[in-house]
Amino acid sequence: MSTIQLRNLTKTFGDFTALKTMDLDIADGEFMALLGPSGCGKSTTMNMIAGMEEPTSGRILFGERDMAGVPMGRRGVGFVFQNYAIFTHMSVRQNLAYGPRMRGAAKAEIDRRVGAIAELLQLTPLLDRKADRLSVNILQRVAIGRSAIMEPAIFLLDEPLSNVDAAFRAVMRTELKQLQRQFKQTMVYVTHDQLEAMTMADRIAVMDHGVLQQVGTPLEVYNNPVNVFVARFIGAPGMNLLKGKPAESDRGLVVDLGPLGVTPPLPDGLATTLRGARGDVLYGFRPEQVALAQGGRGLAMPVTFVERIGARTIVHLGEGGGAVKAVFDNDVGLTIGQTAIVAPDASSVRVFDAASGVAMKAG
Amino acid sequence: MADIVFRNVTKRYRNTLAVDDASFTVNDNEFFCFFGPPLSGKSTILRLVLGLEAPDTGEILIGGRPVNAVSPAERNVAMVFQNLALFPHMSARENVRFPLVERKVAEAQIEKRVADVAAKLHIGHILHKPPAQLSGGERQRVAIARALVRDPNAYLMDDPISALDARLREETRVELKRIQRELGKTLIYVTHDQEEAMSIADRIAILENGKIRQIGAPAEIYDRPASTYVARLLGSPVMNILKSVRGEGGVEAAEGTIRIADRAAPADAVEIGLRPEDIKVNPWADGGQGRPARVFEVEPLGGYTVVTLAAGQARLKALLRGQPNIRPDAMVAISCEPARVHYFGQSGGALAR
Amino acid sequence: MSAVTVTVSEDDMGAALAKPALRDEGARLGFRLTLPAQVLVLFISVFPLLMQLYISVTDWSPLSGLGWWNAWEMWNSFANYTDLAADARFWSALKRTAIVMIVCVPAEFLLGLALATLFADDFPGKRIFYSILLMPMMVVPAVAGYMFFMLFQSGGPVNDILSAISGTQVTIAWLSDPTLALIAVMIADIWQWTPLMFLILLAGLVGVPEDQIKAATLLGANPWQRFATIVLPKMKTIIIIALAIRVIENFKIFDTLYIMTGGGPGVATETISVYIYKVTTQDLIWGYVAAIALAILIVLSIVAVFAMKRMARARQVAA
Repeated sequence: MSTIQLRNLTKTFGDFTALKTMDLDIADGEFMALLGPSGCGKSTTMNMIAGMEEPTSGRILFGERDMAGVPMGRRGVGFVFQNYAIFTHMSVRQNLAYGPRMRGAAKAEIDRRVGAIAELLQLTPLLDRKADRLSVNILQRVAIGRSAIMEPAIFLLDEPLSNVDAAFRAVMRTELKQLQRQFKQTMVYVTHDQLEAMTMADRIAVMDHGVLQQVGTPLEVYNNPVNVFVARFIGAPGMNLLKGKPAESDRGLVVDLGPLGVTPPLPDGLATTLRGARGDVLYGFRPEQVALAQGGRGLAMPVTFVERIGARTIVHLGEGGGAVKAVFDNDVGLTIGQTAIVAPDASSVRVFDAASGVAMKAG
Repeated sequence: MADIVFRNVTKRYRNTLAVDDASFTVNDNEFFCFFGPPLSGKSTILRLVLGLEAPDTGEILIGGRPVNAVSPAERNVAMVFQNLALFPHMSARENVRFPLVERKVAEAQIEKRVADVAAKLHIGHILHKPPAQLSGGERQRVAIARALVRDPNAYLMDDPISALDARLREETRVELKRIQRELGKTLIYVTHDQEEAMSIADRIAILENGKIRQIGAPAEIYDRPASTYVARLLGSPVMNILKSVRGEGGVEAAEGTIRIADRAAPADAVEIGLRPEDIKVNPWADGGQGRPARVFEVEPLGGYTVVTLAAGQARLKALLRGQPNIRPDAMVAISCEPARVHYFGQSGGALAR
Repeated sequence: MSAVTVTVSEDDMGAALAKPALRDEGARLGFRLTLPAQVLVLFISVFPLLMQLYISVTDWSPLSGLGWWNAWEMWNSFANYTDLAADARFWSALKRTAIVMIVCVPAEFLLGLALATLFADDFPGKRIFYSILLMPMMVVPAVAGYMFFMLFQSGGPVNDILSAISGTQVTIAWLSDPTLALIAVMIADIWQWTPLMFLILLAGLVGVPEDQIKAATLLGANPWQRFATIVLPKMKTIIIIALAIRVIENFKIFDTLYIMTGGGPGVATETISVYIYKVTTQDLIWGYVAAIALAILIVLSIVAVFAMKRMARARQVAA
C-alpha cells in the first residue's frame, strides 16, 4: 500500500513557519499536485516526505508505517529535483544504473533494467553520452529514469518542468502522466503553475504561506473554491472578484456593486446566509463564464486591454478595484476604449465574505 | 526615426550557422518579438542589434544608418537584462542616472531626463530606495528606466520574465505591453513562450535554426501559418497535423475518422492541420458517415476541456469550451469547418484553398 | 536552491563559441597593463635561467678569476652532464628525495582529506579547531626545523612521551641514526604541510554540488559509496592541483631538513637540495651546480606538464 498520510505536519525555521499543521491524505496510485506560489511551503512538504528535512512536529506515514527516524535513503521514494541533480561526471547509462548498482544488483540485471527504462523514456541512443553535455529536455528524462528504475511506490517531483522551455513542457506533461498511469505509482508533484496541476493531477492541494487552502479534483477547486485565494489562483486568468453590498430588491437578493452601477442577482441558495449580513461581499465569476450582452443587462465597462492568445481572446475591462477580465472566442471584435457589457453566467457566480475571504455556501 | 533593418545578415560560430540570411524590418515604436525554440538564433540576433557581434555578411541599419562597423556604445540601443543587473549598492535613482553620468552629461540634463523617465514609468516615489527594498515589478521598471534614460533608438529584452511564477508572468507581460505603448519606443523582445509572444507583440518573427520562417502580426501567423513548423509553434494544445488523402469531394484523414467536404482543397495537399479549438466533437450516431473516433482521455481545465481522441492510429487533441459531459471510451464523430482547415504540401509549406 | 544548474541556454552557447569584439579589446588592455610585471618576471626568472644554461657547459667557478660572462673560456662541452650521470652521490640524493616524497605526499594527502571530510559538516568547536589546524603552516620552515631538532633530541620531549607510553626508558638517538633521522624529517614535513592539503581539499569538497549528493543518498548510496562515486570524482581537478603543488614543493625540501640534520648523519638525509647547497658552498664548482639545477628543473617541469594535462582532462569529466 503506498498511501501517504500527513498528520499535523509543521515545519518552522526559527521564527519563520514554513508549514503550519498540514493534514493531507494521498491515496494509493493517486497523482497529487501541491500547488501554490513561491514560499507557500510546497517544497518544504515534499522535502519532509522524502526525508530530506525533519518535521518540527507532526507525522508522516507511508501506509501504516510512521516515517519518523527513517533516513532518506531507506524510504523507497523516487525524487526528481528541480535542477535534475544529474551526476554530470557520469554517462546517461551510469546515471540510470546508479540506484541498482548501489543496492548491489547483478550486472546482467542492471543492464536489463537500464535498457528497459531507456527504451521507455526514449533515451536508448543516448545511453553512452556524458551527462554534462545534454540539453535540459534530455536531462529531465534521465532524472526521471534514474528514479523510476528503482520502481518506487512513491514518486516525488519538485517543479521538474520549470527549467524546461514552454513547448517541451506540454510534451513532458503528457509523458509524465502516461508514466504514472503505467506504473501506478503514487505521485506527488510540486508546481506553481496551475495549468500543470489542472492538466496532470487527480487531485490538487492548493497552498499559500504554509497553510493548506483546499484539496480537491481540478474541477472541484475550479468550480467551488473555498476562498478568495483559491478562486484567484486557479484558472487562467483567475476568478474576477468585485466588492459589493448585499441588498434586497424586487428581484430578490442582489449585490450592489457601488460605482459600477449595477446590482446583479445573487444565487438564491445564499439568501439565508446573507440576509441581514452587515459586511461587504465579493461577487465572483470566472472570466470564461461571461457572455457579451448586446445592450442587455450586465456590467458596462471600458475595454483597457485585449490579449489575443491563439484560441481565445482575453479582454481586460475596467480599472482598479473594478477591473475584470473576460475570455472570449477570437471573433469577439472588441477594441481598447470601447465600452462592453459583460454578463456573468448566473449559475457560476460565487460569493465570498469580503473580510475573511471565505466562500459563502448556501445555507 | 528608429527603425531597425537587417538585410541578408548571416552569422557563423565555428561550424554552426547561428543566423542564416536574415532580413527583416522592425518599425519605429513597434513591439517586435523574436520567437522560436532554444538555439534558434534569437539571442544572437539581439547581440547583432546591440553590436556585441558583427555580422559575417549582410547589413544592419538603425534609423536608416548602416551600423555594421559602429560600436555598441554609439548605436544607442539599450538592453534590459533578464536578471535586471541593477547595481545593488546604489539607490534606484543612482541606477537610473548611471548611463548619463558615465557619459558626462550635464547635471541639469540628467535631472530632467531622470524625472521624465520616472514619470513615464511611475517610479518617482521609489527612486530613493535601493533595489533590495523594491518589489520585483518595481525593480523591473527601474531597469527599464535605466535603459531608457539615454533616450535610445530602441530597447531590447531577452526573455525577461520566464523566471517568474506563472501568475506573475501573466501580469507582468501586460505591464510590459502597457509601458511600451505609453513610452512609444521600439522594443525588440525575445521569448520562447508562445502565449507571451502572441499576447504582447505587434509583430512576431518566427525562427528556425537561424532562419526567419515567417513575420507577421500574431493573429495573422496563428490563423495563416506558412508551414507546419510555424503552425506547431503557436497554440496550445498544439495544432493537430495529419496525413491526408483525397476523398469524396474533399479530403480524408486518420483512416476516415475525419472527412472534410471541401471542393477548394488544394490538389497537392499531403497533410491537413486542425487547431484543437476548431475540432467539433459530437456523440457518434450509429449509421453516421465515416468512422467514429474514441475518446482516449479527458482533461478538465475548468474553463476549457482538452479531449484526446484516438482517431485511427493518430491521437488528436480537441479543445472544448466549458465542462462538457464527455467520458473516456465514448465513441464520437469528429468534424471541422472547411474554412478552418489548414492544408500543407510535400515540403511542409502551407497551401491556399 | 542549488547554484549549479545544467541548463544549456542559447546565451551560453553564444558566449562559449563567440569571440566578440569586446573580449579582444579587454585582452589587449590586459596585456598592456601587465607588461611591467611581465618584464620583471622575465628578468627575474628567464635571465638567470639563460645564465645557468650558459654556465652549465663550462667548468666555471668563482675561484677561476674570470667574470661569469667570460665563462666560455672554460668551455667543457657537456662534460658536466656526463659527470652528473656518473655522480653516485647525486643519484643517492635523488633516491632519498624520492623516498621522502613517496612517504610524505600521500600521507599529507590522506590526512588532509580525512580532516577536510571532518570539516564538511559542523561540529562543536569547529572554528577553534580550524585555527589550530592551520597553525603549523604559518610557522617559518627554518623555525620548524629548529623546533623538531629540539623535539627529537635523545633527552627530548618525543622520547619522554614514548617513555611514558611504553613504561620503559626510551632514549632513541633520532637524529644520529640514518633511518630514524629520515623518518624524523618526514614527520616534520607532514606536520607542517598537511594543513595546506587540508585547505585545498576542503575547498574542493565544498564545491561538490549538494544536490547530487542528496540524489545519491535518495537512490540508496551509503556514505562510503557517496564518497567514492560522487565526491571523489568531482574533486579530481582539485586533487590533481593539490598533489602537483606538494610534489613539486616537497621535492625541493630544504629549510626544515637542513636545520634539523644538516643532511646528516653523514649523508643519510641528504636530499637533492642539500646536495646542491653543499656543492655550491663547499666545492664551489658552480658550472656543475648549474647542470644539476637544470636537470632537476627538467624533471619538475615534466611533472608539472603531466599534472596540467591530467587536470585539463579531469575538468571535462567533473562538472
